[in-house]
Amino acid sequence: MSAMNSGGISAGGGGSRGGRSWHSTTSVSASGKRILKEMADLNMDPPSDCFAGPKGDNLYHWVATIIGPPGTPYQGGIYFLDITFPSDYPFKPPKVVFKTRIYHCNVDTAGTISLDVLKDGWSPALTISKVLLAIRSIFTAPDPYNPVVPGISRLYLADRAKHDELAAEWTLRFASNDVSIVEMNYMLLIISSVSSSWFALK
Amino acid sequence: MFRRNNVAARIFERQIRTPAPGTSIHCARRFYENLVPSCTIYDVECPDHSFRKFTDDGQYLISFSRNHQDLIVYRPTWLTFSCKDEECDTHDLPLKSKRFESFFTQLYCVPLVSGPSGSEFICKEFFLYIESNQFGLFATSTTQIHDAPAAGGAIPGVPYIEKITFHLLRLEDGVILDQRIFHNDYVNLAHSMGVFLYDDLLAIVSLRYQTIHILQIRDSGNLVDVRAIGEFCREDDELFLNSNPQVAVNHVGNGLQHNQSILESSFLSGIKQRLLSFIFRGIWTEETDQTLRIQCLKKKFYYHFQDYVDLIIWKVQFLDRQHLLIKFGSVDGGMSRNADHHTHTSFFAVYNMETTEFIAFYQNSAEELYLLFEQFCDHFHTTSKNSSSMNFITSHSNNIYALEQLRCNKSKANGFQQFVKKMLASLPINCQSQSPSPYFDQSLFRYDEKLISATDRHRQSTDHPIKFITRRQPCSLKFKIKPGPEAGSTDSRAKKISSFLFHPILPLALSVQQTLFLQPSVVNIHFRR
Repeated sequence: MSAMNSGGISAGGGGSRGGRSWHSTTSVSASGKRILKEMADLNMDPPSDCFAGPKGDNLYHWVATIIGPPGTPYQGGIYFLDITFPSDYPFKPPKVVFKTRIYHCNVDTAGTISLDVLKDGWSPALTISKVLLAIRSIFTAPDPYNPVVPGISRLYLADRAKHDELAAEWTLRFASNDVSIVEMNYMLLIISSVSSSWFALK
Repeated sequence: MFRRNNVAARIFERQIRTPAPGTSIHCARRFYENLVPSCTIYDVECPDHSFRKFTDDGQYLISFSRNHQDLIVYRPTWLTFSCKDEECDTHDLPLKSKRFESFFTQLYCVPLVSGPSGSEFICKEFFLYIESNQFGLFATSTTQIHDAPAAGGAIPGVPYIEKITFHLLRLEDGVILDQRIFHNDYVNLAHSMGVFLYDDLLAIVSLRYQTIHILQIRDSGNLVDVRAIGEFCREDDELFLNSNPQVAVNHVGNGLQHNQSILESSFLSGIKQRLLSFIFRGIWTEETDQTLRIQCLKKKFYYHFQDYVDLIIWKVQFLDRQHLLIKFGSVDGGMSRNADHHTHTSFFAVYNMETTEFIAFYQNSAEELYLLFEQFCDHFHTTSKNSSSMNFITSHSNNIYALEQLRCNKSKANGFQQFVKKMLASLPINCQSQSPSPYFDQSLFRYDEKLISATDRHRQSTDHPIKFITRRQPCSLKFKIKPGPEAGSTDSRAKKISSFLFHPILPLALSVQQTLFLQPSVVNIHFRR
């Protein structure tokens, strides 16, 4: 597979990595150790359709990928997220931001996720695996009663089929490369929404 | 069997024998061995223009005025003269005929720069010819500014030009049909690198805003926007996003502010999202074992994630009407000179702009891509579906001698990896950079490729004439091309640069020699008497 060939970028891209370095050595021992442990745990037992790893040499800056769960309008999409751990992790929650556009009532226009565990609901007992699981769960079950984009939540509650159709089109346009797969999913959604409304009429 | 190869014998042979199927054009081209530009008029008196090239159908000679303001177009004609004596073949050419005007008729001279002179200049290295309509595409620009601040979505580290104008001209009469202006942008105009023409489709790479503009040249002479690939992939993505309830909540009725919020958002651009998901999928499907998959993703994907995000589009070419070959690299690599491109790490990707999918991704050391390039080189040298002259441009996939040369270079290279990088550095190819002249056909002639070749480049010239030797036995010297004055230059130490303009069909060529000091150039006309 051609993507194999992408391995050796470090030779050419080394210079650009200067900005990303380890945080101050005092905090490394506590938070760094914790992050390393979480990474090991994540690798041992990853939540389904979620992957994550540090960007370059910086342990505090991660990238995560969530594959749009099947059966949702996000199916076929590949979502990239930026994870930044604070230096006093795990006493403060990590910052998680979508790098991929998504049509979701709990994700604002800048990609910030409104999730309780990332704010007041954070506890040092939580781990990055749990956070990823929580994020994945908003794909399957959005929370329209605590929205950051009221327009989407209103549509979600009023006309679920229309909402799903729009979300699927967002997936198709902004979150995928395998357009054919997503397109099929999108077509199926339209067919099902049309037929369900038809049945409702009957 | 011994065959005579003079013109009479060949005509006789043509009468009595049918060439093997599919070789009739090749047989006809052998006549070029007999009809060669062996006669030279040295230091011909000619207008002081910079001569750019013959169009690929041989209809026009394109030249620009020295002040880079005007376009002057000539029609190549064949030399005629009258002679009083009886045996005029043995005579030297009459003095009157040894003029530029006996070979070229000026059709017109049009200013390309409108507005105050000195604001914009013709970019003399840029010219593309649309053969089907006899249109020409030219570029004028203001001077480029380095160390420009990166504002409004521009990427840092790329110089900028205040105004770049592309002019579409009907070459028949020099009428400007359409123009396209890029403001505060940067398009690499040298050797037409930033622009690629395929059929009627034009791809213009805005380095500064990382956008591939696809334009169509209509028969009516209009430049029509087809799509812009970069921040978005589909032509209506931006419209879709703008007309969406999600964003409309915050920015009602303020289009400008709105656009900025899109540009300055932290989301991956459309093309990067496609590329990253393609790479991710590739690794994901390649490893089926979950733990290995995770290790692989960590090492090959997440570790380099920022490097992938920081990649910029350098250069683009069409492979066919749907597929683009895109070269990605780091910012500093894109701005360096062409020669050391291959030392940088860069990537090649094949993108289908109709389905907006990436279908292949290679590093510039990928053997797989190199092998494709070695075997199917002609598929990369695409210019249009129906250009017959271009089929005969020598490449290592259609010519045994060129292939032998390539193999020789390959065995001599120190390290296969370096060789692959060096070869792939020529991808994506420069559009219309090769002369279709039969005298560069390596199945007909052998010549020193260091001194002259079909590729449109300035070369350092020596005082020795360049020899063209037939490939067929008895491998005799057929003609010489000698740039510069007949007696050689007076100052042998001065560095001299030559360029060669070969007519695509006729045995006619111009050689232009310049010394680096601002002396007028020496133009020689090479033709068959």
